[in-house]
Amino acid sequence: MICIYIYISLSLLASTGGISWHQRSSTTTRIPMMPRIPFSVIIKAQRENHLLPILLKECRTIDSARNELRWLRERAVRDSQSLSSKTGWRSRLRSMCQMRSRGYPLQYILGDQPFGHLEILCRRGVLIPRPETESYTYQAAKLVRQMARGCNDKSESPNQARPLRVIDLCTGTGCISLLLHALLAPHFQKLEIVAVDISPTALGLAQENLKHNLQMGQLASSAGTDIHFHCADVLRYGCNNSVPSIESILQIQLPNFGASDTSPPVQESGCDLLISNPPYISQTEFRNGTTARSVRRFEPKLALVPPHSGSGVEDCMPEDIFYHRILTLAFKLRAKLTVLECGDSHQASRVVALHNRLASTESGQFSAEVWPSRERDLAENGFHATDGSRCVIIQALQ
Amino acid sequence: MLVKSICRSILRPRLGLKLSPLRGLHTSKNWEASDSALSPALLTRARLLAAEHTKLAERLGESFDAKTAKRAGELAPVANILKEWVNANDSIVELNSLLTDPNTDAELRSLATEDLESSRDALPSISDRLKKALIPRHPFADLPCLLEIRPGAGGDEAGLFAFEMLRMYVAFCSRRGLRPTILKQDTEVGPSEDRLSEAVIEIQANGAYDILRTESGVHRVQRVPATETKGRTHTSAVSVMVLPSFPEDTSEMDNALNFEDPSSDYYIDPQEVRVEKMRAGGAGGQHVNKTESAIRLTHIPTNTVVSMQDERSQQANRRKAWQVLRAKLAEARQEAREQELMQLRRGILGGVAKMGRGDKIRTYNFGQSRCTDHRTGITIHNLDGILDGGDGLETVMDSVRTWMADSEVEAMVAEDMANAKSK
Ligand SMILES: C[S@@+](CC[C@H](N)C(=O)[O-])C[C@H]1O[C@@H](n2cnc3c(N)ncnc32)[C@H](O)[C@@H]1O
Repeated sequence: MICIYIYISLSLLASTGGISWHQRSSTTTRIPMMPRIPFSVIIKAQRENHLLPILLKECRTIDSARNELRWLRERAVRDSQSLSSKTGWRSRLRSMCQMRSRGYPLQYILGDQPFGHLEILCRRGVLIPRPETESYTYQAAKLVRQMARGCNDKSESPNQARPLRVIDLCTGTGCISLLLHALLAPHFQKLEIVAVDISPTALGLAQENLKHNLQMGQLASSAGTDIHFHCADVLRYGCNNSVPSIESILQIQLPNFGASDTSPPVQESGCDLLISNPPYISQTEFRNGTTARSVRRFEPKLALVPPHSGSGVEDCMPEDIFYHRILTLAFKLRAKLTVLECGDSHQASRVVALHNRLASTESGQFSAEVWPSRERDLAENGFHATDGSRCVIIQALQ
Repeated sequence: MLVKSICRSILRPRLGLKLSPLRGLHTSKNWEASDSALSPALLTRARLLAAEHTKLAERLGESFDAKTAKRAGELAPVANILKEWVNANDSIVELNSLLTDPNTDAELRSLATEDLESSRDALPSISDRLKKALIPRHPFADLPCLLEIRPGAGGDEAGLFAFEMLRMYVAFCSRRGLRPTILKQDTEVGPSEDRLSEAVIEIQANGAYDILRTESGVHRVQRVPATETKGRTHTSAVSVMVLPSFPEDTSEMDNALNFEDPSSDYYIDPQEVRVEKMRAGGAGGQHVNKTESAIRLTHIPTNTVVSMQDERSQQANRRKAWQVLRAKLAEARQEAREQELMQLRRGILGGVAKMGRGDKIRTYNFGQSRCTDHRTGITIHNLDGILDGGDGLETVMDSVRTWMADSEVEAMVAEDMANAKSK
């Protein structure tokens, strides 16, 4: 029985394999095989609890397996009490652990994932929010407040003329929009958040999440009217009868959004924050072991891998096409702040370069940086010194 | 002076009756110090505080201010009890003069005798209450608290008993409506899933610190472990630490306790705290879906480390880690201050030691089904009831509370006497 676990070689992860508190840079080559879990660890797990080795398969460290076991047990016990199901919590727990060992995401089993202080409902077909996205959202909210303080001086009250406008492209569960509302509503009297996704499943869940967090009292009641979810295709230009284009949605939402490229450029900024966590995994990275087996098998590919661009208009790598599109929109909207999640620091650098190239034909000055990159920002936000996701932050300079 | 000598002469014989059996356990030194007579030093202390109270009350009459009101509220008991004490003494003097007056008629004389007796009877308890009121309030007395449980020597047994203690305190707190929640529970999950390696309970009720601070120290368990084949009794230890829990919103807090205020004793400079989240190498973002959300805080100057991983939410882990870190640092600073004070007192009292957190304070003996507190000597013979967090535990804690107050009074008297002598 135990032997099976010793020789499990799972899909990828780090070459360093481990998770640690302090880890300076590691090699950048990725080994598409999981290092074996040491025999001693499996024995120890087995002695502690017979379910632990099963979880270890997916969790990789005993601490993580212990935690998951506790969370699953709590849920199993709670479910068996509330659902008055015939099966006891023990057998429920066992089947949950077995699902988990096959790589089925914990969040789909439990049905939710914390995001900031919010509880985001998760369901098959919609991407599970990641901790990095949470960090980017906090950072974005922090910058928005800084900017507002910067131009308001002390004399002006936060009583703004027009609402603070946020656009969240590729919203998925709606996690970014909801957390932004929670973080910004106490500081801005008027707030308007437009969230867009192409997937009706995602939009349905996002709407549910809005309701769920309102009910739990985690969102101000104004969130119900401030946040608008729309179905639109971020990549498509112009109108099409199946799914509306992003432009057509923004025209409805933002009164002075340029209807066509020929209309005179809007002087006023149409958007204070444009934020997006678009699909960014390349076809190669999806298959070569960089993407975890569990993600590949159980999360929607639509949310992860950008489609092959047929048009060839964009002079960028296929996995970067969303950025090209979103940066173009950012200029059109005269977005004051743009925050884009990227897969790693290389992609982030490409996005900065792409931005600089596109900006050269635009009027206006911008600053574009990769975040986090300072030692302290990295550590506090749990980022590895070289590996893992980064975001690009673009600010329009006045 | 006259008043005092009267008190002394009448009170001394009553002392034995007034004392609870618990106090009877005190050393002769304690006995002396718990003398119901008020030392001149304590009386001076009481008068000063009462005078301050009068002044504050006047000021409050003119204009209200929350801070003044709070201080006045703290001083009110001293002022009131002192008034009672003065009244009782005045009437004793008056009655005495009535009795010594040859012109007093017989009927009045017998009434006066009766009155004198009841006044004298009342005095010791008034003095006692006054002394207790004079004890400076513990700086954390009004706060909620964290109660940390860690098994010590004794291996598995210690872990098992630590788990039982966790249950005991949770039950005790629930019973008393103190709203306990388990903040952290690290188990060495055995076949029975109940071997604790560390737990922290948060007790949210204000004043919980004062109620539970009797529990800090080493608790010893003596029993035959289930795994023991030869029937031998094992002794193992579990250490309990009661820490102050600071509210997150410091805006309504006392300045002295505001950990965000650089002038407070409990200030923590955020620059001195290293915050670390778990950092994993390899791919991140959409590529993977990890469920770890551990947070670790390190207070660099003292190398105090707190890590938290119990919650799925990183936010929650962070909040809890900060709460525990603040609590630990505050308790350590308070402890250092008390230690300093003790050094001073030791010089005066000649080695009367306060029981510190490193001392063995209580034994739970399963063979004899008893629980003994070593500070007061109290023994309760219903161990199950105690482990259920029932009245037995309350009784033990009460005895310790009395003991703590008595030791405080004792130290206070000694200190005042020493101060008076040195002047
Ligand atoms: C990586 S997920 C991000 C979800 C969420 N914002 C988050 O951070 O957890 C990308 C989302 O983009 C959506 N999407 C994919 N292609 C799209 C398109 N052409 N237009 C709009 N949304 C698209 C997917 O349905 C998915 O919900």
